[in-house]
Amino acid sequence: MGLEFITRIIKTTAALALIVALYLTMYYSGRVALGFLIGAAWSLTNLYFIKGMVTELITPNETRKDVAIVLGFIKFPVLYVGGYLVVASGYFSVCSLLAGFSLIFPIALLKVLGRVILRMDVFGFEKKHAEGAH
Amino acid sequence: MDYKFALALSLPIAIGLAAIGSGFGLGRAVGQAMEAIGRQPEAAAKIQVAMIIGSAFIEALTIYALVAFFILMGKIG
Repeated sequence: MGLEFITRIIKTTAALALIVALYLTMYYSGRVALGFLIGAAWSLTNLYFIKGMVTELITPNETRKDVAIVLGFIKFPVLYVGGYLVVASGYFSVCSLLAGFSLIFPIALLKVLGRVILRMDVFGFEKKHAEGAH
Repeated sequence: MDYKFALALSLPIAIGLAAIGSGFGLGRAVGQAMEAIGRQPEAAAKIQVAMIIGSAFIEALTIYALVAFFILMGKIG
């Protein structure tokens, strides 16, 4: 389970958010759909920046602190000030924003569960070490 | 006590508690991840993925608290 797993989560969430937004436009309103998309974009941006910061800072190889600092300086204004402006505008339904924001979590959970059920490489590391111990 | 006054008193405390909880969670997660990578550097990629997903979950709770804060802040003024 390498870092491409995170990239796949991001791609799946983006695709699913677009599909759900189409349904929301059809059955609710464009405003709800847009709120849902903005919420999803918010969580994807959050995950993207966390991925960047973790891979740059928490690594056995040489860390690139300057990149991590730049990511940190961009992350907080983009996420928190942007989020404040979106919520304070009052244009979007907060429920749709939070629904879009939460979409990534069931996807991540289901992807991990799928790998656990299919016994994919989630357990590869533990198996190798368990075999090495005997 | 006026509900606006009560809200103005409790809102900073609530967001502070959320920030403290998130900070403890993230700090513990990062600390344990660093320790695990130090012990087994070959497992760094797997640990990083678990760390990223965990951090996203922890930070999401802070953002939920922040959104609640923004909404309730509008009711004080």
